[in-house]
Amino acid sequence: MGFLITSLIFIVAGVIGALLARICCNRGPSGNLFHLTLVITTTVCCWMMWAIVYLAQMNPLIVPILSEG
Amino acid sequence: MEFFDNLPAMDLMRSEKMTFVQLIIPFESAHRAISYLGELGLLQFRDLNDDKSPFQRTFVNQVKRCGEMSRKLRFFKDQINKASLLPLTHPTLQPDIDLEELETQLAEHETELVEMNANGEKLRQTYNELLEFKMVLQKAGGFLVSAQSHKVTEDRELEENLYLNNDYIERASLLEQEMQPGPSNQAGLRFISGIICKSKILRFERMLFRATRGNMFFNQAPAEEYVMDPVLAEKVLSRLSELEATLDAGIRHRNTALNSIGSHLKKWTDMVRKEKAVYDTLNMLNFDVTKKCLVGEGWCPIFAKPQIQEVLQRATFDSNSQVGIIFHVMDAVESPPTYFRTNKFTHAFQEIVDAYGVARYQEANPVVYTVITYPFLFAVMFGDWGHGICLLLGALILIARERRLGSQKLGSFMELAFGGRYVILLMAVFSIYCGLIYNEFFSVPFHIFGLSAYKCRDSTCSDARTTGLIKYRDTYPFGVDPSWRGNRSELPFLNSLKMKMSILFGVAQMNLGIILSYFNARFFASSLDIRYQFVPQMIFFNSLFGYLALLILIKWCTGSQADLYHVMIYMFLSPTDDIGDNQLLWAQRPLQILLLLLAIVAVPWMLFPKPLILRKIHIERFQGRTYGLLGTSEMDLDSELGSARQRHEEFNFSEVLVHQMIHAIEFVLGAVSNTASYLRLWALSLAHSELSTVFYEKVLLLAWGFDNILIRLAGLAVFAFATAFILLMMETLSAFLHALRLHWVEFMGKFYFADGYKFRPFSFASLPEEDD
Repeated sequence: MGFLITSLIFIVAGVIGALLARICCNRGPSGNLFHLTLVITTTVCCWMMWAIVYLAQMNPLIVPILSEG
Repeated sequence: MEFFDNLPAMDLMRSEKMTFVQLIIPFESAHRAISYLGELGLLQFRDLNDDKSPFQRTFVNQVKRCGEMSRKLRFFKDQINKASLLPLTHPTLQPDIDLEELETQLAEHETELVEMNANGEKLRQTYNELLEFKMVLQKAGGFLVSAQSHKVTEDRELEENLYLNNDYIERASLLEQEMQPGPSNQAGLRFISGIICKSKILRFERMLFRATRGNMFFNQAPAEEYVMDPVLAEKVLSRLSELEATLDAGIRHRNTALNSIGSHLKKWTDMVRKEKAVYDTLNMLNFDVTKKCLVGEGWCPIFAKPQIQEVLQRATFDSNSQVGIIFHVMDAVESPPTYFRTNKFTHAFQEIVDAYGVARYQEANPVVYTVITYPFLFAVMFGDWGHGICLLLGALILIARERRLGSQKLGSFMELAFGGRYVILLMAVFSIYCGLIYNEFFSVPFHIFGLSAYKCRDSTCSDARTTGLIKYRDTYPFGVDPSWRGNRSELPFLNSLKMKMSILFGVAQMNLGIILSYFNARFFASSLDIRYQFVPQMIFFNSLFGYLALLILIKWCTGSQADLYHVMIYMFLSPTDDIGDNQLLWAQRPLQILLLLLAIVAVPWMLFPKPLILRKIHIERFQGRTYGLLGTSEMDLDSELGSARQRHEEFNFSEVLVHQMIHAIEFVLGAVSNTASYLRLWALSLAHSELSTVFYEKVLLLAWGFDNILIRLAGLAVFAFATAFILLMMETLSAFLHALRLHWVEFMGKFYFADGYKFRPFSFASLPEEDD
């Protein structure tokens, strides 16, 4: 699917999450900013995890060698 | 940067603004005002009398009386527990009673209960004695049945007058017996009978033998039911049943009394606790000059001021006082306490951060990021979506029974688990995500996201075990390719991946920490910190470890064979040498030399300018004042610049320099060691995956290979046990601990001062419960 496309999917998921947080738990400007921070942190962490694993497999230096039996 | 200024203040980012207040309360409304404030729970009183002993304080008598009352209440509770009565929980709609009334009522109940207990004791003792007598009759009747029957009536009389109780023998009637001449002596026997402890029988027998020089006959039988003589028996039995009836009536009477107490007990205990707390707080206040008012000082959050004022007005009104309570703001010398308004979700995370140290007043709170990064780092070490689902079920059960478990008293382990239920929930959700990425379901990979990217080189797969597969498609779209599981080259690949991942996460989180220190410096308006601490720290850290992260990314993107260890080490050892095969960037050699120079320059930059400039500022400020006031030589420089107070204190240059040097060295050395410390993310996730693999392959698959159903069940049971205890419990605790360490030391060490103290308002809700 490509690196960029999936990254875009992550960004879109983050935006949707932020909107959901605003709709479900609207708690004034300070509370909303806190929820937004949480959503952004989650998106960044999850994207980083996925991106690292994806990039590591893009141009592999070793390949799977099946074991005996 | 103005963008950040224009944003509204974030909820938990900085502690609530506090203000120091003074209360002047007229005497008649003092008690009411304090109890209303206790219900509100937003004012922390300062103890103005802490140089006095507890016996010198004003309200010491009231405190003693409360202590007496709570002792009586504990006595009632013990009695109720001993009588094994269930505590009644029906809500009583009794009107509120006064403290003096309560005191008299409690005293009455206590005397009544004590009297009932004493009477019960006496009755029981009489009952027991009679019971023993009955047993004596039974046994002795059995022994003497063989004696001459026409002597039975006299024997019976004898028995009536004799009984023996453990070591005590009554000889009076034997002597009487001797005075009477006559046929009773025909048998030539004297006898005594009684009850004795089983353990003392041998000694008693020996003693009798010696006393009677061997002329005696001793018979014993254990006390059981026996047939006995009806006439005497009747008298004894009727007496016994009378006593039993009396005892039962007594117990019933006592139980009624206890029940009636028990229905009020909780309310009374709460009342007494609150009163004691109110008097303890009143003891912290001072009398003012006129002796008609009490003066109190304390901290309260600024948002609570209107609420407190309203409560004080209500207290004045309710106590029909002529004079209102004065409530005004004062300046304080010490720094305010730290108060975060957390809800049940963020409370557990705040506790985790507070366990390291309570935040300084209004510094950046790590909880804002910890809420997400802590479960995330846990999940990186725990990644297995099967185990994650188990954790999720556990967390959901705890949350579903929140209300019931919250009111119970739990064991210490369950209490920890229950308090952290939202933490566990987030940990479980992130574990499921990381498990999907690592592609491990109880260590079994799945092809959820499409086909694997690897296949055999040709259709015969002849060299699959020597040279391996090839990559013929695009990368597996989400996570680790399932073809890697069970290979010979699985570990080299995963190790390389996870180690680089740990370094990248470490560099990212530590950069976040340094950036938070920038925001702290900006908030406390300390440009010195920004220019001579934040900037050199960023430069040093990123020119070395940010560069390493960049090299990792470039190596992955280009698929180069460069050896990163070699590159980094020779960047330091011989930076001007030719890079050769390890070239990853264009103009890498000049870039590395530049970065090395920047790092070297950054070290004295973060070491020397700040103390020198502080010294210059101090000299300028107190120029010409040679006779300054003597003060403490210890200074907190970071807050000094931010506070508005003038301090005529000595400026100890050498101490400031040493402090700065320690800070700089800690950062420089810490940069290397903390980055390496993040490799525990790799280590623990490797351990988890290997344990999981071992249990799956060597226990479950092995047992499933047999045809026998018993072996299969046994294997399943061992697998379930091992997964539950070792993987779910031990690994959870282990990953929990290591994620905690990463947060406390590596992340919070970059910016967190943690030298504040917690806001502990006077609140009835937070009074400690009486221990059972």
